[in-house]
Amino acid sequence: MPASSTLAALRAEIAALERGARPASAVIALGDPRVDGRLPGGGLALGAWHEFAGEGLELETAAESAAFVVRLARPLTGRGELVWVLRRDDLHAPGLAGLGFPAERLIQVCARDEAEALAVMEDALRTRGVAAVFGEVEAVDLTAGRRLQLACEQGSATGFVLRRRPFGGRGRADASSAAATRWTVAPAPSEPAPGEPGLGAPRWRVGLERCRGGRTGAWIFEAAEDDDAAHPFRLVAELGDRDVAAPERLRLAG
Amino acid sequence: MRRLHAVDDAAQALGLFAGQKATDAMALVPELATDEADPAGDAAALAALALWCVRFSPAVAADPPDGLLIDITGVAHLWGGEAAMLDDLLARMARQGIPAQGAVAGSAGAAWALARCGGGRDVVPPGAEAEWLAPLPVTGLRLEPQTAAQLLRLGLVRVGQLAAIPRGQLARRFGARVLTRLDQALARAEEALAFRRPATPWFARLAFAEPISAPEDLARASRDIAACLCARLVAEGQGAGRFELAFHRLDGRAERLAIGLSLPGRSPDAVTRLFAPMLERVDPGFGIEVVTLAADRVEPLPERQASLAAIGEVAREDGVAPLVDRLANRLGEGRVWRAEAWPSHIPERAVVRRPPLSAADGRAWARDRPRPVRLFARPEPIEVTAPIPDDPPIVFRWRGTLRRVRRAEGPERLAEEWWRRPPGETAPADARDYYRVEDETGARYWLFRDRLYGGEVAPKWWLHGLG
Repeated sequence: MPASSTLAALRAEIAALERGARPASAVIALGDPRVDGRLPGGGLALGAWHEFAGEGLELETAAESAAFVVRLARPLTGRGELVWVLRRDDLHAPGLAGLGFPAERLIQVCARDEAEALAVMEDALRTRGVAAVFGEVEAVDLTAGRRLQLACEQGSATGFVLRRRPFGGRGRADASSAAATRWTVAPAPSEPAPGEPGLGAPRWRVGLERCRGGRTGAWIFEAAEDDDAAHPFRLVAELGDRDVAAPERLRLAG
Repeated sequence: MRRLHAVDDAAQALGLFAGQKATDAMALVPELATDEADPAGDAAALAALALWCVRFSPAVAADPPDGLLIDITGVAHLWGGEAAMLDDLLARMARQGIPAQGAVAGSAGAAWALARCGGGRDVVPPGAEAEWLAPLPVTGLRLEPQTAAQLLRLGLVRVGQLAAIPRGQLARRFGARVLTRLDQALARAEEALAFRRPATPWFARLAFAEPISAPEDLARASRDIAACLCARLVAEGQGAGRFELAFHRLDGRAERLAIGLSLPGRSPDAVTRLFAPMLERVDPGFGIEVVTLAADRVEPLPERQASLAAIGEVAREDGVAPLVDRLANRLGEGRVWRAEAWPSHIPERAVVRRPPLSAADGRAWARDRPRPVRLFARPEPIEVTAPIPDDPPIVFRWRGTLRRVRRAEGPERLAEEWWRRPPGETAPADARDYYRVEDETGARYWLFRDRLYGGEVAPKWWLHGLG
């Protein structure tokens, strides 16, 4: 229809304005049209930063979100240097290596406080030759977020912010953020094949809460069994908004 | 018995000498002023003086009780020659009230002898040690007092006389020690000196006619001296991994700054940039008269040529190496690292930290056993309900919350490494049984049980990792 094509053209123009003069950058496809279709460009945009947050204790440990993000960022590992900015140095390299991540190349930086962690992230994102920067910070306010975005555009790196309060305590209020996408990551029970003992492939209940130039959604992902698979996840189920909230309420009641 | 430890020039003129009985000295000079000897204080003062002498060369060795040895290889030209350098050194010492004698020679032994027994401010041309030392007394050879006394008794007063005796006889009569000392003095044998800092030809120095203290002057000085040293590094195809900048103040103290590079480099801009944030820590006192810059860990660094194939890529030297340097110098070297596999099955020992851009040793990660993404430095205690020994828990309480285990894998038994156990002891009491469990929400935990059931101490459960 002419109306929709005009709309699409206008949208593309706005997106180009928002990006500045840069050409459309590449994306990481998640490998399922039900997810990729909601993200602008058909995947997680490179040269931007993305935010991942958990809930409850997960906000303190950031273990499940780290496991998810490490798999998500695997296609970037061959493209350059990797930097992980920590506040608490509890990242276990053999665990990362087990997920097919080149842990021996990962440059780990332990910052002393929140401001320093953000400054280090910014510095690393701006550096040429760095492909991905992971940062564990409590919250990214609007100014800091803009600075991260500018740094992403100056360099060629993709940022992954893991929201984390490493030493517990009350969290800061959720500030509006300048992230390209914002995700919530929570674990989901695994379903091993019938008759198989032990744990199945890990699953996550993942919500896309905010997506500039795209649509939000919620899904259950399962890690691909093979570390070298083309896409790190398999989409198990698509969730409505109600499904995302439901299990938490059930658990509280029961 | 009390003896004189040291005497000054005036006392020497009156016929007093070190080692004399105090009562004899008092008899000779009744109005003699004496003070208690303080060997520890002397040693500390000598160490401080050695530190001060670093402005002349980074290689300074204290030679107790009263000497300093300075390796001036490759630095004398900064003063316009060895004689001028020696004059400058002695003049500065005299200004501080330190009566000093000095000499320059091709060996530490010769310099030692000439400084103590020579004509004063001797500068020996290379290879002429034998000729210059010949008229000196044998006591200048740093011999044991008994040996020196024996030589003197036999009429061997001059070094030249000693050098004329065939080596075999000399060694037989007076011991190999005499021969070694003689060889060291005549630059025929190497001598190991305990330098404060190893000698480096990679050393630059800027002296100011007027002392400087303004921050912008310090910045300019650091830039100029970096350009000076880096130009030499470029000319000789070398790069350095460490730079030490020292601001020598008028009052004799030195303010030192050091930076490290992850990959050897020689870019004056990079060096200046890394020093820039530290300059504000420098306290110039009454002014700074000399700035020195020494490069360490110098190794050949070939000129890079941008290859056509790699135009799209960024070399590590341009991209990530300056980033690592900035971070390591700002946060501290211990806060930037990369992990490397270590051959140990104990989880907390399976990883070692290495400098971020160091060469990998190619050891592969053990990927046969699943490991958590987060590992606690200290395992956290948990309360557990486990049905029977060797079974994973059904329920456990961690941080006040009860978690029901839905699925579990294990156990994986990890015993203490046998080579860490005292010999003869074989009891596997320190084994840990690890379980990977998943609770109802799907969150994954890595638990272990310390010790086995049925031992003297009841087993305890711990949470070691997540994810």
